[in-house]
Amino acid sequence: MFPSLVRSAAGKVHLLNLSPAEGSRHTQKRLGRGRRSNHGKTSGRGQKGQKSRSGNSNPRPQFEGGQTTIAKLFPKKGFTNQHEKVYAPVNLDRIQHWIDTGRLASSPTQPITARELLLSGCVHNVHDGIKLLGDGAEHLKTPIHITPSRASKSAIRAVEKLGGSVFCRYYNPLALRDCVKGRTDRLDAAPTRRTDIEWYTNWKNRGYLSENAIANMPLVTERWKALSGQLQAFRGQEFDKPRK
Amino acid sequence: MLSVLRRALAEVSLLLGIPLPGCLTPFAQTSQLQRRQLATAAVEPASQISTPAIIPYNKSIDLDPDANMPVQAVSVVQPVYLALSSLLPPTSRRGSTEDQIAVLDPSVFRTPIRRDILHLCVVHHLDSLRQGTASTKTRAEVRGSGKKIRPQKGSGRARMGDGQSPILRGGGIAFGPKPRDFSTKLPRKVILMGFRVGLSAKVKERSLGIVESLDWPGTKTRELEARIKELGWMKTLFITGQEKVPVGLERSVRNMEKLDAITAADVKVYDLVRWPRLVLDIAAADYFERTLSRKVPLAPDVI
Repeated sequence: MFPSLVRSAAGKVHLLNLSPAEGSRHTQKRLGRGRRSNHGKTSGRGQKGQKSRSGNSNPRPQFEGGQTTIAKLFPKKGFTNQHEKVYAPVNLDRIQHWIDTGRLASSPTQPITARELLLSGCVHNVHDGIKLLGDGAEHLKTPIHITPSRASKSAIRAVEKLGGSVFCRYYNPLALRDCVKGRTDRLDAAPTRRTDIEWYTNWKNRGYLSENAIANMPLVTERWKALSGQLQAFRGQEFDKPRK
Repeated sequence: MLSVLRRALAEVSLLLGIPLPGCLTPFAQTSQLQRRQLATAAVEPASQISTPAIIPYNKSIDLDPDANMPVQAVSVVQPVYLALSSLLPPTSRRGSTEDQIAVLDPSVFRTPIRRDILHLCVVHHLDSLRQGTASTKTRAEVRGSGKKIRPQKGSGRARMGDGQSPILRGGGIAFGPKPRDFSTKLPRKVILMGFRVGLSAKVKERSLGIVESLDWPGTKTRELEARIKELGWMKTLFITGQEKVPVGLERSVRNMEKLDAITAADVKVYDLVRWPRLVLDIAAADYFERTLSRKVPLAPDVI
């Protein structure tokens, strides 16, 4: 190959001339090895007292000498929602850049899903699902077809203005895993919680179980059509009217 | 995929405008062999090699389908060209007039040389080899009773407890070695980088050779030794990309400590540094390119 103009001083790579990177190794601090080491005699502990003794010098962990500990100073607050969902956000300008550099592509029958976004590196972790957000909508130039778990209203507006499509699908943890791994042998579960059912049967959110979505989506299964009907049956039901 | 060009060394060297590295250059004998090959190499017409024009990805071009212009994705980085060597002696049947060139991935065979990465990989390997069986007895393990040797007060001498104290002769050892595991963990990607750096260092020092095949016909040690001395390839590690090392080569090098043969899956970064010379077969070079290459993945075609 090209002869190097600046030859390495060590010459050929050999077992005898390998060394760690400069500054990567620090010599160990060794206590009690003579006065000239600066850590001899009392070895950095000073004179007598509780702290200079061998073994544990603290009465118990988190003890602050009697001062109210940091754990006791502040009151407990609130609770942790076990059912909280954390969606991985992805903005429109990022998707457009990925399309420009050839890392993402979509069509109505092959929409962008969590799998494509993860494998192309557009998101680093799918968490509980993908949420499409509208930051950088002015940079979006190509019509995209995407099926995230959620989407913001401005993102939906921007995508549909260019002729793309957004349909939000319900993914439970197993369904999301199957989507990312590319497994198609299992059925994806339908939403069971009331809040999820109301969300995904709403066309405003572009939910995949709303009537408009069932009519317009390019890939619709018979099962989804049936689900859409069943899950919205409550809207037409009435309790027995009280007799006057 | 590793590609092997069947071109004249001199011809391609002229076209590319760079001096091609020969095979391994350990002794004068080998370089003479090389020069002889160059002198008798057949000259092929230049039209067969064409450098395609590089078109940026964001410029759309109108391609005339009838035009005879080859459109090909070209890496903007120059690949590594390495002339093939041969373990078997050249015979008239093998067509020695035409020399072959291996076209190698620069992200594997021409990376910057990082000695500190090699140091990490070598130290990690040597740590894993440690037996870790040094053992001593503490004051609890030394045989003896717990009887107090002399009373606390009255003897005029220092106070003492049991006879196994580390202060005493015959007592236990304080903080002595115990059998332990010295192996360390090293990130997988550091080891992969070590492979890349090791191979690149060998290419840079012209100590890496590629042969078409490592299928040595005989099994006698002296036959291979004679051929190796002729080539000047002592202290060489042969790396094959097949699942097992070819039987002939394996038996021939078994009794020689200056030669060894190994599969590409089993080779370690330590071996790449330790052996002065490496000889890969095409399958091994292909294996390294498949496992080590760093290319940006592109989106698949949409129907």
